[in-house]
Amino acid sequence: MSDNKCTVMVQRYLPESDSHAETSHHAAQVFMQSFEVPFDESTSILDALNYIKEELDPSLSFRWSCRMAICGSCGFMVNGIPKLGCKEFLRNYVTGQNKAELTIEPLAHFTVERDLMVNMDEFLHHLEAVQPFLMGDTSATIVNKQTPAQLAKYKQFSNCINCGLCYSACPQFGLNPEFVGPGAIALAHRYNLDSRDKGKAKRMPLLNEHNGVWSCTFVGFCSEVCPKGVDPAAAVNQGKVESAKSMLIQMFTGGN
Amino acid sequence: MNRLKGLHLEPLWWGLFSAGGVCFAVFVPAAIIVFGMLAPLGVIQLNFDQISLWFSSVWGLMFIGVVICLPAFHAAHRIRHGLHDLKLGGGLLSVIICYGAAALTSTAALFIWFY
Amino acid sequence: MEQQKGYKQELRGNWWLKHTFFKRYMLREATVLPLVFFLSVMLVGVFSLLDSVQFEAWQRLMAHPIVIVMNILALIAAFYHAFTFFELFPRVMPIRFGDKLLPASFIVAGQWIAVVAVSAGFISLFLHFGGAQ
Repeated sequence: MSDNKCTVMVQRYLPESDSHAETSHHAAQVFMQSFEVPFDESTSILDALNYIKEELDPSLSFRWSCRMAICGSCGFMVNGIPKLGCKEFLRNYVTGQNKAELTIEPLAHFTVERDLMVNMDEFLHHLEAVQPFLMGDTSATIVNKQTPAQLAKYKQFSNCINCGLCYSACPQFGLNPEFVGPGAIALAHRYNLDSRDKGKAKRMPLLNEHNGVWSCTFVGFCSEVCPKGVDPAAAVNQGKVESAKSMLIQMFTGGN
Repeated sequence: MNRLKGLHLEPLWWGLFSAGGVCFAVFVPAAIIVFGMLAPLGVIQLNFDQISLWFSSVWGLMFIGVVICLPAFHAAHRIRHGLHDLKLGGGLLSVIICYGAAALTSTAALFIWFY
Repeated sequence: MEQQKGYKQELRGNWWLKHTFFKRYMLREATVLPLVFFLSVMLVGVFSLLDSVQFEAWQRLMAHPIVIVMNILALIAAFYHAFTFFELFPRVMPIRFGDKLLPASFIVAGQWIAVVAVSAGFISLFLHFGGAQ
């Protein structure tokens, strides 16, 4: 390994040492810790964290799994921007000859459980609420065929890996955790657009709420940070068109 | 299902915002250039009788629609959501003041047209 | 099983200062402030049509240096709004032919063509016919 050294500042929070774990005064128990990590062109942020845990401080806690940006586990704030640890490289944070520097914090807008681990339930319960699965014909004899055109309609939105980076990016979710949020709405939209699905009417009531699509102001940062190019902002705002139609229909017919 | 269950006016404000956004982008620049720059600088002469004649026609109605009324609702929507984003408001009072002001502006302009 | 409470930092009203992307978002939203100024002077102008003396007074108002500067600002705001708004439109209403998507740049270009066409039409209308008979 070359003598490139990266200064990695990591936000720590150790609840067992936090006498105020039950209240809201955690400032004293949240601290930044600095580590020197050797790196080359291929060192990812996740590699750096694993180096720290293996060689420098075994108490550091963080989630990871696939190392290839498909499981969605290793989301962190890197210099204030939500990123996947396995998809970001230390070579992009070079500050001088053989030197690099960056700061890692837990994903924003979620409750921090420990170090870089956040409570993803706050996203997952919104995801569950939109019923992100095909609700089709109950007849078992139907064969679901789809043309390329039908697939193209929703394909981009099906790339979501549930990593939650969009929730950390979204200021509306940060201001209001009841907002269903970009990821869940993108998935709701993915199923609403799928020709095999018959469940749109069941999803619309949630999307039609104030905390559904209507909390979005198209800031667009969610799409900017999405590691899979899903463009959740597009999904949410296409959802506004659908919601407007749905609510208009409901006004006249009582159904959505 | 009850026809009115869970209904609210957000789609209306968003629709007006969208239409107003198109007007702000497509029609307002022309109005600013003509009335805000070329006329005051003397490049264009505004004749009261000619303008009044045009204004009293259906074109005048369309003009105030796309240059005043719809952009007013566009501005109201952005200001209301802006107050929410800045944690300065955005609740019921903001809704009433913002869209109310846009409605008053539109009514005033339409009143002159009908007069 | 004991529930770990953890902590969450509440977002304050200055969240948008933390990143260029958010500052640009706030700037985009703020383009309506110069617009409100322009709408106000236009409303005054509409009211001034009741009387030719009032109309001339309105024209003098529009020629005031501060008003001209504010209107130039409104024009800049209108263009920045258009620039950001046109980019959003193809994402809200993507146009598809079978499984082929119409490139967003086409839709963006089409909207700018509309701006140029409308502006050119409106300006030439007043250049040729708005003046004294």
